[in-house]
Amino acid sequence: MQFFIQLSLDGLTVGSVYALVALGYTLIYGVLKLLNFAHGDVFMVGSFIGYGVLQALGGASNPVVPVWLLLVLVTLAAMAGCAVLGVVIERFAYRPLRNAPRIAPLISALGVSFFLSNSMQLEFGAQQFNYASYNLSGGALYFHGFDLDHVHIPLLRIITIGSAFALMVVLWFLVNRTRTGKAMRATSFDREAAAMLGIDIDRVIVFTFILGSALAGAAGVMFALRVPTFAAVGFTTGLKGFTAAVIGGIGSIPGAMVGGILLGCAESYTAGYWTTAWSDLVVFSILIAFMIFRPQGLFGRVDIRKV
Amino acid sequence: MSEWLPHESESPEEAVPTSGPAVGQDEWVAREGERRASRAGWVGTVEARLRRVPWWAWLTLFVAAGSAMPLFESSGYVRLVGFNTVVYMMLALGLNLVVGWGGLLDLGYIAFFGIGSYVYAIFDSAKFGYHVPSILIVPAAVIVGALVGLLVGLPSRRLSGDYLAIVTLFFLELFETVATNGNQIFGHDITGGSFGISTVFPLSFAGHTLAVQHNGIFAVSYYYVAIVMFVIVYVALFFVNNSRTGRAWRSLREDPLASEVMGMPVNWLKLMSFATGAGVAALAGTISTALNASVYPLNFSPVVLITIYAMVILGGAGSQPGVVIGAFLVSVLLQVLQDPGQARVLFYLVIVVGVIAAYRVSVRLALVAASTAVFGIATHAIAASFHHSWVDGAHGGLAGVIANWVVVPEQLTPWVGQVSYLLLLVGMLCSTQLRGRLRLVALPPTLYLAAFVWENQMIPNPGPARYIVLGLLLIVLMIVRPNGLLGERRVEIN
Amino acid sequence: MGERLLELDGVSLAFGGLRCVSDLDLHVDEGEIVSVIGPNGAGKTTLFNLITGIYEPDEGDIRLAGESIVGLQPHQITRRGIARTFQTLRLFLNLTVKENVMAAAYGHTKAGIFRSMLRTPGMRREEREISELANEKLAFFGERLMGYRWNQPAYSLSYANRRRLEIARATATNPRLLLLDEPAAGMNPVETHEITELIGKLRTDGGYTILVIEHDMHVVEGISDRVVALDHGTKIAEGTFVEVATNQGVIEAYLGLGTAETK
Repeated sequence: MQFFIQLSLDGLTVGSVYALVALGYTLIYGVLKLLNFAHGDVFMVGSFIGYGVLQALGGASNPVVPVWLLLVLVTLAAMAGCAVLGVVIERFAYRPLRNAPRIAPLISALGVSFFLSNSMQLEFGAQQFNYASYNLSGGALYFHGFDLDHVHIPLLRIITIGSAFALMVVLWFLVNRTRTGKAMRATSFDREAAAMLGIDIDRVIVFTFILGSALAGAAGVMFALRVPTFAAVGFTTGLKGFTAAVIGGIGSIPGAMVGGILLGCAESYTAGYWTTAWSDLVVFSILIAFMIFRPQGLFGRVDIRKV
Repeated sequence: MSEWLPHESESPEEAVPTSGPAVGQDEWVAREGERRASRAGWVGTVEARLRRVPWWAWLTLFVAAGSAMPLFESSGYVRLVGFNTVVYMMLALGLNLVVGWGGLLDLGYIAFFGIGSYVYAIFDSAKFGYHVPSILIVPAAVIVGALVGLLVGLPSRRLSGDYLAIVTLFFLELFETVATNGNQIFGHDITGGSFGISTVFPLSFAGHTLAVQHNGIFAVSYYYVAIVMFVIVYVALFFVNNSRTGRAWRSLREDPLASEVMGMPVNWLKLMSFATGAGVAALAGTISTALNASVYPLNFSPVVLITIYAMVILGGAGSQPGVVIGAFLVSVLLQVLQDPGQARVLFYLVIVVGVIAAYRVSVRLALVAASTAVFGIATHAIAASFHHSWVDGAHGGLAGVIANWVVVPEQLTPWVGQVSYLLLLVGMLCSTQLRGRLRLVALPPTLYLAAFVWENQMIPNPGPARYIVLGLLLIVLMIVRPNGLLGERRVEIN
Repeated sequence: MGERLLELDGVSLAFGGLRCVSDLDLHVDEGEIVSVIGPNGAGKTTLFNLITGIYEPDEGDIRLAGESIVGLQPHQITRRGIARTFQTLRLFLNLTVKENVMAAAYGHTKAGIFRSMLRTPGMRREEREISELANEKLAFFGERLMGYRWNQPAYSLSYANRRRLEIARATATNPRLLLLDEPAAGMNPVETHEITELIGKLRTDGGYTILVIEHDMHVVEGISDRVVALDHGTKIAEGTFVEVATNQGVIEAYLGLGTAETK
C-alpha cells in the first residue's frame, strides 16, 4: 500500500507536468488545428530560463531572496520568457503558413523543434542542469510536509502539484468565463466565421500562444525542480504531453488535464510494478490503442463533416 | 452546340472551335500556364530543350557520373559518404512515394529502415550464428518491412492528416524503445539493446562474399551494389507512378472521398502505399547494415527521419528527380558542415549569394558590403585593443585571413557566445521584417554577428550546428518555396 | 423504358435528431432521365450520398438492378455501375485533365503493383486501353476538353470546363447509372443550354441512365422524363415536369404558403 501511495504521488507529480504541457498543445490545436511539435522544446527552454534566473538569484543553496519569492520569480520568469518565445515562433514560423496546406506548418513546427533543441545544445552543451532543489532552505522543503500511511509527502511536491492545479483552474476560468476566452472557443470552431463576426483572429491566436507557452514554461520549472534538465528533454516530454492531449481529446481542456494525470500515473505504475524500460512502451501502446479505437480521445468531439 | 458567340482561337493550326462561352477566355487561362513556364530568350530555349530530354537519359547520366566517382576519389571515406548518399537517395524515393504521391504524412518511415536493418542483422551475423545467404535474407527483409508497413498503415483507414502523423511517429518511438530494450525481452536478447548488433556479415552472392574492406579501405563494390539497387528502385517506382496504381495514389492525395467514389479502393491503396514505401526503406536498410557490419538503435532516431524529410521537401515532394537531388544536396551539406574549412567556405558563399540575390548589383549592395566590412574592421580593432587573446583564436589558411575581420578569441567565454547567438536571432528576425533603409541599417551588424557565431560556435560544434541549419532550412522552405526545387506548384482547396 | 435500374425502398436516415431522409421511395428505370428538385436542405445530396454508399441508411433498402447495395463500400458500388458528380466540384486539381479521367478507370482495370513495376505487355496493353478510353470520354465534350488541354493541370480549367471534366471523369468508370449533382450550377445561360443538350446526348449517344439534381427549372424542363420533388427528406410530388411544377405542395415548399394561392 505504501508503495502504491508513493507511486501515485510520483504519477500525480509527473502527470501535472504532462497536463500543463498537454494544455498548451490542446489550446494551440484547438485554435490553429496545428500540432505544435515545437511545444516540447518551449517547455525545455522554460526549464533553462528557470535555471538561469535561479542561478542569478544565488542558486538553491544561497538565494538572495526568501525561498517562496525565489520560486515565484523563477516560475514567472520562465512563463514570461516562454510566452515571448511562443509569440515569436507563431509570428515567424506559423503565421506565414496560415493558408498553406496542412502539412506545411507541421513541417515548419518540426523545423522549429529541431532548431530550438539544437540551439540550446550548441549554447549550453548537452549536459544536465540541476536546480538542486533539495538545497532550498537547507532541505526544509523536503523535510516538511505531511505523512500519509508512513509515506512522506514533501512540501515541495505539494507546492508543485498545487500550483499546477491552480494554473489549470486559472486557465479554465480564462477560457470559459472571459470574452477573449469566448473568442478563442469561437475561433476553434470555425476560424472564418469568427473572423467575419469581427473577432481579431491574429490577436486570439497570439493570446493562445501566450497562454499555452506560459503554461509550458511553468511546467518546465516544475519538471526541473524534481529532475535535472537537459537540451534534449523537450522532445520526449513534448511527446508525452502530446500523448496526454490526444488521449484526453485534443481540443478539450479538461481532457488535457485528465489525460496528463492518467499518463503520469500509467508511467509511474508501470515503472514501479514492472520496469522503467517498458514504461515508455506502455505509454505508446495506450496511445496507439486510443488512436485505433477512440481517436477523439476521452472528451473530444467527433468531427462530422458535411460532404 | 450554339454557334452564335464568336470565339478567338490562340494558334492558327488549331481548328476554330464552333461553340463556346465568352471570348476565348478559358483558352487564355489554359495557355497561361504554358506562357509562364516558357521564358523569353535563350533561357527559355534551353529550358524547353531540357524538358524534352527523356527521363531515362537523365538517370543514365546521373548514374554514369556517380559510377565514375571512385575513379577520381580513392579515399575510403569519400566512398563511404558516396554509399550513404545513395542509401539516402533510396530512402528519399521511398518516402516520396508515401508523402509525395500518396499524400500520407508518415512520420515513422525510418522505422522501416530499421526493421530491414535488424532483420538482416539478426539472421546474418555472429550474434545468433545464423548465416542466411543474401539472396534470401534481403528479399525476406523487404517483405517483413512491407508487412509491418501494412500493419502501421491500418490505422490510416480511419485517421487523416495530423492523426496519422501522430500514430506513425509513435510507431517510430515504439520501434526505438523495442530496439533499445530488446536485450531484455522476457529474458531473451533479441536486438542487442542499445549496443546493437555489431558482428554482421557482409553481403554474399552465390557463395562469393563481398568483402567490406580491402586493406582498411571500404570496398567500392558496395557502392556499385547500392547504385544498382538505386536504379532498380527508381525505375520500378517510376513505372508504378505512371500506372493505374500511381494515378490512384495521386488521386487519393488530392481527394480521398472523390477517389473512393470514382471506384478506387482508398483504404487498400493507403495500405499499399505504406507497404511499398516500407519495402523500399527495408531494402536500403539491408545494404546499409551489411556495409557498416553493425546496427544500432540510434541510427533510426527522429533526427534521421527529419533529415530524410528535409531531403524530400528540399527536392520537391512528388518529383523523383527532385528528391534524389534533394538527398544529394542535404547529404553533401551535412558532410561539408563537418569540416571546418569547407563549412567556412560554404557560409561565405551562401551569404554573398544571398545578399546579391536580395539586392542585385546596385548601390544598396555596395552599401551593405561596405558597411559590413567597416563594422567588422571596427569591431575587430576595438576587440584587439582590449587584449590580443581576444582575436588570436584562428590559425592559418582561410581562417587566418578571415580572422582579421571576424573577432575570433582564443577562448570564447560562454556568456559572450550565448548573448551573440541571441542577438543574431533577433537581428535575423528583424531583418526579415524591416524594409528599405531600416533594413540597410540592421543588416551589416546581423551579417557580422552571423560570421562571428559561425566561426566561433557553429564550426567547432558541427553536431548541433548541422541540425540547426537543417531546422532553419525546413522553416524557410515551407514559407518561401514549399514545393522545393523540382516539385510542382500545388493548388489546394480546403 | 427498360427494367427498374435503381430502386429506393422506404429509406430513412437521421443524424442525431435531424431527419435527413424519411421513408423515401424512389425508382429510376433504365434509359430514363429523372430529375430531383426541392428547396435547399431537402435531402437531395444526402440522397446521392446514400445511393453511392457514403452514408448507410438507418432503414430501408437500395437496390441496383434488383440487388441490394446497402452496406457496400462506395468503390464497390461504383464498380457495380453507379457514378456521380459533386455539387461542389471535387476534381483532382493537381492531376492533368487526362489523368483525372484515366484515374477513374481504376475500377474496371486490373494491373497490380508488381506488373506495373515490371511493365508487362499485359499492363502496357491495359494502359493503352485506358488512354483510349479517356480520349473517348473527353471527346464527348467536343472541342472543350481536347488537344493540348489533356496535359494541363485540372486547376487551370475554367469553371464550366471543370464541371464538364467531372462528368467526363464519372463516365470513365463505365457506369450504367449517372448521378449528376447540380450540373448547371453557376453557369451562364449559354453554358446552361449546352449542359441541357449534353445531358440528352449522354442518354442517347452514351446510353446512360441519369438521375439529376437541379435547381434551374429550364434544365429540368428540358431534360426530364420524370420529376421527383423532395422537401424535408420526403417525397412531396412525382410526375411529369408540368404536373410537379403546378403541384400545390411543391410551390408551397419553394415559395411559401402565401404565394401558393396566387399560382
